[in-house]
Amino acid sequence: MYQYDAIDQQLVDERVAQFRDQTRRYLNDELSEQEFLPLRLQNGLYIQRYAPMLRIAIPYGMLSSEQLRKLADISRRYDRSYGHFSTRQNLQLNWPKLEDVPDILQELTQVQMHAVQTSGNCIRNTTTDQYAGVIADEIVDPRPYCELIRQWSTFHPEFAFLPRKFKIAVNATESSDRAAIQVHDIGLQIKKNDAGEIGFKVIVGGGLGRTPMVGVTISEFIPRADLLTYLDAIIRVYNQQGRRDNKYKARIKILVKALGIEEFRNRVEAEWVHLRGKESTIPMSEFDRLSSFFSEPAYESLTNNPAELTSKLANSAGFSRWHERNTFEHKKPGYRIVTLTLKKPGQAPGDATSDQMEKAADLADQFSFGELRVSHEQNLVLADVRQDQLVAVWEAAKEAGFATPTLGLLTDMICCPGGDFCALANAKSIPIADQIQQTFDNLDYLYDLGNIDLNISGCMNACGHHHVGNIGILGVDKKGQEFYQISIGGASGNDASIGKILGPSFAQEDITRVIQTLMDVYVNNRTDEERFIDTYRRVGITPFKEAAYAKAN
Amino acid sequence: MPKLIKNGDIADNLYTWQQDSEAAASDTAIVPMSKWLAEKESIGPVAGIWIDAGEGTEALTDVDLNQFAVIGIHFPAFVDGRGFSYARLLRERLGYKGEIRALGNFIPDQLGYLLRVGFNSFQFNEDVNLEKALVLHKSFSTAYQGDVIEPRPMFLRR
Repeated sequence: MYQYDAIDQQLVDERVAQFRDQTRRYLNDELSEQEFLPLRLQNGLYIQRYAPMLRIAIPYGMLSSEQLRKLADISRRYDRSYGHFSTRQNLQLNWPKLEDVPDILQELTQVQMHAVQTSGNCIRNTTTDQYAGVIADEIVDPRPYCELIRQWSTFHPEFAFLPRKFKIAVNATESSDRAAIQVHDIGLQIKKNDAGEIGFKVIVGGGLGRTPMVGVTISEFIPRADLLTYLDAIIRVYNQQGRRDNKYKARIKILVKALGIEEFRNRVEAEWVHLRGKESTIPMSEFDRLSSFFSEPAYESLTNNPAELTSKLANSAGFSRWHERNTFEHKKPGYRIVTLTLKKPGQAPGDATSDQMEKAADLADQFSFGELRVSHEQNLVLADVRQDQLVAVWEAAKEAGFATPTLGLLTDMICCPGGDFCALANAKSIPIADQIQQTFDNLDYLYDLGNIDLNISGCMNACGHHHVGNIGILGVDKKGQEFYQISIGGASGNDASIGKILGPSFAQEDITRVIQTLMDVYVNNRTDEERFIDTYRRVGITPFKEAAYAKAN
Repeated sequence: MPKLIKNGDIADNLYTWQQDSEAAASDTAIVPMSKWLAEKESIGPVAGIWIDAGEGTEALTDVDLNQFAVIGIHFPAFVDGRGFSYARLLRERLGYKGEIRALGNFIPDQLGYLLRVGFNSFQFNEDVNLEKALVLHKSFSTAYQGDVIEPRPMFLRR
């Protein structure tokens, strides 16, 4: 993975010193609340319902075991011994003290980490596929490009005070999209043109929040050398022309929609004419330098399906289930990608205790070249596990509470922290997730239901990505009471779509009954091999809607 | 005489920022860009013009900007970042060499970024202590991107 040189280190060190001074001046009343707000946000610091929340950047989800141990240590000493992995591959601490934050940031720099631009109206952490670099059908490894974007966006002097936050995601496979690039401000699809040159299809104006939209293609192919000048052109147009009068209409998607993609493209092209080919054009030497950090680890020469694996698969239903759901095909024979799930009853989705973080770091050292990834679905990934060591990993993962064999199933939910923590939330989301976990605990039934994305957000800001869940649950405030609106038919992959609202919202105690009803409609209507989303797309919303409201009527 | 920060020092403010487009222009006035464009044949000598957020720099494309001693850029709120792009366009695209002055509600903590996009003078609101602001008058010692001061990104210098 990427290693800082003296320049990278100097920048994060200077940032900590700057933030320490800003915090000191704020606490001395030299900096007003209003002035400190955007400054602290650009260091990932929110003031939440009960305490500040610090969002630590995990660039494109890559973590070394040493970094994860540091996060465990920080969450133990400065917080309540746990952290929350977010959908954008970052880690949130829910209970730090404001005056401790400069020290936390300083400790992070010791392991080449920071909280730069994890919030605020600036360019945020760039995200990508959690299987980057280890899957067979990848065009190229997206991580060097993510690191390029990270450096370009870090302390970009022109784009620190945009109309609204700005999120970029990169995908490098054509068959799938685990990074949800179509619902980002800019989505980059790495591709090769007919001449075999690497470039990007550029999608713009996707996003969730109050006005969810699937992005549109602004360019079919931007050569990789031109990536940064093209991004500069898009964001320069947005910075000048995006709406600033209403924060709910300030994302780039609103500008793209208002102008139409043709006109927006014309404006970007008119800007790009002046930038293309200038200093920010990326030389081959930089691609080579960045790629050198992501070279393959020392893989052994192995074959698929060693005896240790096949015999256990034959003899253990539990292992077999876990292997089927929680592991994924690796590009190298004899290896497998393992997901350590952070989804089990009694634990908020995406939460990990300090002990669990340390355990995951140990597993990475022991079985996966000392590296991990954080996934968009709020799980941890060991990318390079030998197949003859899968049983050992499974045993250890079970012990640490990482082996709930439900990856991709109904209970592998995406969930925001909700009203238990967040000052913006209209309703709690974690108790809803827990209720669903407790109710749908029969693995055979979950397996029969197959792949279903269920996403929960506690408010319209949609941090839990409810719009793109096959089933989405949104917390709403109804005369001071917490209610939940349910939508169905959303998707975040290659076939991204925004879900449709089923109808009037439900009380908390009705949620699991409604989910059960939706499952029944699916099971009664599906054909062989049809996933929930396929059945929905074929039969439409009506049968689901009728069944969900049958009792009330 | 009112003070400002210019080229890294506290200095006398020799010009008047005219926010009222009805006011009579003079050779010490910084007049609204729209006023100057409308009256340029008759307005006579001015110190410079100022650009409001939302106006952009496009209307200046065919103007000889180096006739102005100063071009002001107004920040209606410090979180309104349009002026960062305007300054950069004035320097990099329109070739303006004179003073670019930040006006309005920007704050000292933004100085690092303001310097990098081409501002060299800062007319703070009256409640800002200029000595304290001067302490923040610096960028980080290095940067990944190219900017007005150093157009080459780090990858050309590494």
